[in-house]
Amino acid sequence: MSNSNNKKRILLVDDEPDIALAFKIGLEDNGFKVDMFNDPQEASLNFKRSLYDLLLLDIKMPNINGIEFYYRMKEIDTKVKICFITASEIYYFKQITEEIFTLLGAKCLLRKPIKLEVLVNVLRKELGLFYENNKNKNNSSKSLYI
Amino acid sequence: MNKLLQFISKSKMINSCGDSRAPSFAFEIKEYQRLLTELKKRNIKIRYITDINKDNLSYCKELLNFYTEIRHLDGMKANFSINETEYMASSTLIQEKEVEQQPPGLIQQVIYSNVKDIVEQQKYVFESFWNRSILAEQRIKELEERTVLGQTEVIQIPIKAKELLIKLVQSSKEQVLLLLPSVNAFFREERLGIIDYLKDVSKKRSVNVKIITPVNDKIDNIIQNIKSDNIPNFVIQPFENPFAEINVNTVTILVVDRKESLAIEKKDDSKDDFVKAVGLSTYSTSKPTVLSYVSVFESLINQIKLYDQLKVHGKMQRDFINIASHELRTPTQAILTFSDLLQHHPKKRNEMIEAIKRNATRLQKLTEDILDVTKIESKTLNLHKEKFDLTVLLSNTIDDYKKDDEGKGKIRLLYTNINKEPLFVDADHARIIQVLSNILNNAIKFTKEGKIGGNIYITTEKKKIDDNNQQVTVIVKDTGSGIDIDIFPRLFTKFATKSTKGTGLGLFICKGIIEAHGGKIWAENNEEGEKGATFAFSLPLIMDRHLDDHFEVFQIT
Repeated sequence: MSNSNNKKRILLVDDEPDIALAFKIGLEDNGFKVDMFNDPQEASLNFKRSLYDLLLLDIKMPNINGIEFYYRMKEIDTKVKICFITASEIYYFKQITEEIFTLLGAKCLLRKPIKLEVLVNVLRKELGLFYENNKNKNNSSKSLYI
Repeated sequence: MNKLLQFISKSKMINSCGDSRAPSFAFEIKEYQRLLTELKKRNIKIRYITDINKDNLSYCKELLNFYTEIRHLDGMKANFSINETEYMASSTLIQEKEVEQQPPGLIQQVIYSNVKDIVEQQKYVFESFWNRSILAEQRIKELEERTVLGQTEVIQIPIKAKELLIKLVQSSKEQVLLLLPSVNAFFREERLGIIDYLKDVSKKRSVNVKIITPVNDKIDNIIQNIKSDNIPNFVIQPFENPFAEINVNTVTILVVDRKESLAIEKKDDSKDDFVKAVGLSTYSTSKPTVLSYVSVFESLINQIKLYDQLKVHGKMQRDFINIASHELRTPTQAILTFSDLLQHHPKKRNEMIEAIKRNATRLQKLTEDILDVTKIESKTLNLHKEKFDLTVLLSNTIDDYKKDDEGKGKIRLLYTNINKEPLFVDADHARIIQVLSNILNNAIKFTKEGKIGGNIYITTEKKKIDDNNQQVTVIVKDTGSGIDIDIFPRLFTKFATKSTKGTGLGLFICKGIIEAHGGKIWAENNEEGEKGATFAFSLPLIMDRHLDDHFEVFQIT
């Protein structure tokens, strides 16, 4: 993971600056390259096809919510992977998420607060890194961080 | 007959009994009519006992015109009369057609006696009957009511039920209540044309139509279509109350004009054809039965309303939990992650501790807000009242803001004490600061959003209510983006926020605090041409003469 060219690139959008910053630092510590935005509008302007491996999106955001953001970006880049992360009650938009998730094929929905190591684990799994790393290391998940 | 006439002619007073057939004879047989006329003419006092029933009811009513008093005794069989000295009884009444050559009902054999003992005995018998009997008027009333109460009929043939259903709907004059037990029942009735008939009578005769039915998407569409027809007295009430469904899921109930009811049992709900789907039906014109159905219908309507309210309440609860949990989890996430990162990033240590502090404060604020809301809603908000000068509180609080906002620059807070005199209030100092801060924070936030900077004007107004009461109004006028039109009507309710951050609890709490002080809080958008909004709250002032000499002015340090 020392080779920055091999690093998986994540687009992180969360309107909470503290959370966005904390995630960015935490994920970078774990070998990801992270572009961070607090404003989804701004993030969408910086989005390019094949630039990102994964989107890590908050859902409740001003102007464009996370689901809509993903919907728009997916039109530009059909291959980009997705993880939503929200502090809201899941049931609150259960219907929307179920519909959209079925429609868009998304299945990763995480709830805040989440432990950094769990988040890293999930993202690795989504990106297909999990097993690879497991094979290389004797120890299980713990050794993967930091 | 002659004997009878003789008997009458001698009497001043007659006591008489007759069985249930007797009253009709008086009118069906000419000879008896002569007797009656005679009785009336002579003004003879007659007490008469008979068995009044549905069939002789009309005759008995007529007899009341001739007899002094008539009473009813269940199962009366005796046929005799007594006057002061004589006893007369008919042993046999000839039935119609029994003996062709005899007129029907004529007395065949008569027993007569003027033996004092026998007459006395019979008088005693009569009196005992008399004492056990009830007034004819009462009996007639009962019978007539029972007739009005009507009947209940079980209809075993579905085709008959179908015809009756259509007939009833079409004959309705004032009101039709229809309760449908299932989605399929709705479609069956619709296929029969019932819904159209109902629309028709509602349009043409302004019949009030109420239908309760379970719905699916298709029925929902039909309801929307009917709504667009704008028939004023036509309501289809969808019901989805699971409890109600269990209770009445097998019977279609139709009530017409509160006078007739038809309850149709469903036998096989899967059948499309009405006739195949239904089993027994009960038709009734009996008042208690019909009204019971009406009350079933009405309680269902109430239940549906309650259930809807419950759903709204449930939604509010979920809103609260969702907003509160979002606001709890967000700072918690920041605190958790930064604490994790802290040990590995010594250089960013201070920055991270600041972030942790910031989020911890946010958590604390939320906790307090939720507590305040709970106190306001349960009316247990305790005020720690003290007497202080509101102008001092205002200038101190605003000075703090000025210090805080130094460098951020563009927004200026301008406070003028127009009255140039102290304004003493008896209030909870900390709570008033809380209210003022909330209003100022909003003003600053929305003035910033306006992105042109600007001024926030704070003024006070003193107003005399009457000889014993004065109040002060604190007015905060900003030059920001104004109050969102969607939010405006529910500005002071819980969760009124358009922001993705924040709980929308602030102004609800402010309102609770000000009202607990006996004051008012309100807001308005500034007049056209002027940007921004104005928030104001009023508090009762302490009248000068009520001021205690000993109290000290509270100062913020």
